[in-house]
Amino acid sequence: MIAAPGTTAWYVYGVVDASASLPPGRLRLVEEGPLAAVAGAVPLSEFGEEALAERLNDRRWLEVHVREHEEVLQRLAAGSTVVPFRFGAIYRQLDDVAAMLQERRADFTAALARVRGRIEVGVKGWADREQVSASLGDAPPQAASGRAYLERRLTERQRVEQVAALLADIAGDAHARLLRHADEGVANRTQPPELTGRAESMILNGAYLVGGDGAELAAEVAALEAEHRGRGVSFETTGPWPPHNFVEPGEGS
Amino acid sequence: MSSNELAGVGGLTQPRPTNPAQLADVLERVLDKGIVIAGDIKIDLLDIELLTVRIRLLVASADKAKEMGINWWEGDPFLSLNGRDRRGLEGRLRRLEAAAGLDGEDEE
Repeated sequence: MIAAPGTTAWYVYGVVDASASLPPGRLRLVEEGPLAAVAGAVPLSEFGEEALAERLNDRRWLEVHVREHEEVLQRLAAGSTVVPFRFGAIYRQLDDVAAMLQERRADFTAALARVRGRIEVGVKGWADREQVSASLGDAPPQAASGRAYLERRLTERQRVEQVAALLADIAGDAHARLLRHADEGVANRTQPPELTGRAESMILNGAYLVGGDGAELAAEVAALEAEHRGRGVSFETTGPWPPHNFVEPGEGS
Repeated sequence: MSSNELAGVGGLTQPRPTNPAQLADVLERVLDKGIVIAGDIKIDLLDIELLTVRIRLLVASADKAKEMGINWWEGDPFLSLNGRDRRGLEGRLRRLEAAAGLDGEDEE
């Protein structure tokens, strides 16, 4: 769709090497020295400053565009090294995109080197707290006397704490073991059940930057899974992702 | 994906992958991670963060989110009382309570 000048802006998805090639489509490379930004024209009626502020509150609109941002990066990452931008980097003119590339050249060059030849893999740990609790042994017996009742309540409370401590240990150990098979890794905030829609609690929300195809990391995930499955803890991988977690200076481990 | 065209932002009809990533995972990465840039058309980053919070709060009440450890917006002066000021106030309150011989509620 060709729009009249002044009605479109340029949305930047990420930065690649200037030598990278794009799949055919409506996106274009904005080259500046050794770097290129991957940009697409967007209507100002949606992506202008005021319009965008409004759209961002529309959950449906946001989901569509956030997913699209991710899909573009996924396709780029399949063929090139890419430094993903956060959602919403918008420029009025291509010259502005080039100026941004020039200004941040050192950052982007370092970020490209950091993620070159590597993929980001997500690993999540899940716990069925009841099963974990049961794995710690029999629940305290039903109590007849008042004193025994209080003791039982106390034991129950201790049990909840024991489960929490065990899960923290398992998650910490898993993250440390996964890091050994990764160049970098980060344990992000776990997502609440309302967000995951799952009955189990998320105990690990890790992202790992790994070389090659990540087979070693996958093998460690399988080992963790085999080790803990019997007590109600499971692990799964997501991705590969574009290296979102490993491009900002200071992020990662 | 069957399309051979990169649908840029604005193209709303792109096919969905058969096994789409969990929305929460995508939001977390696309809204919270990645290179942060201030563009020509400035999007205040606080808006983006506010938005992320809203997305999370759509599915989790503020208290529930806090319980789950999602309380990082509290340090954001745009989203709450200035964190430092509030800590200062809480400190003063505790000292006053101690001076008055009152037990302030334990925080941890």
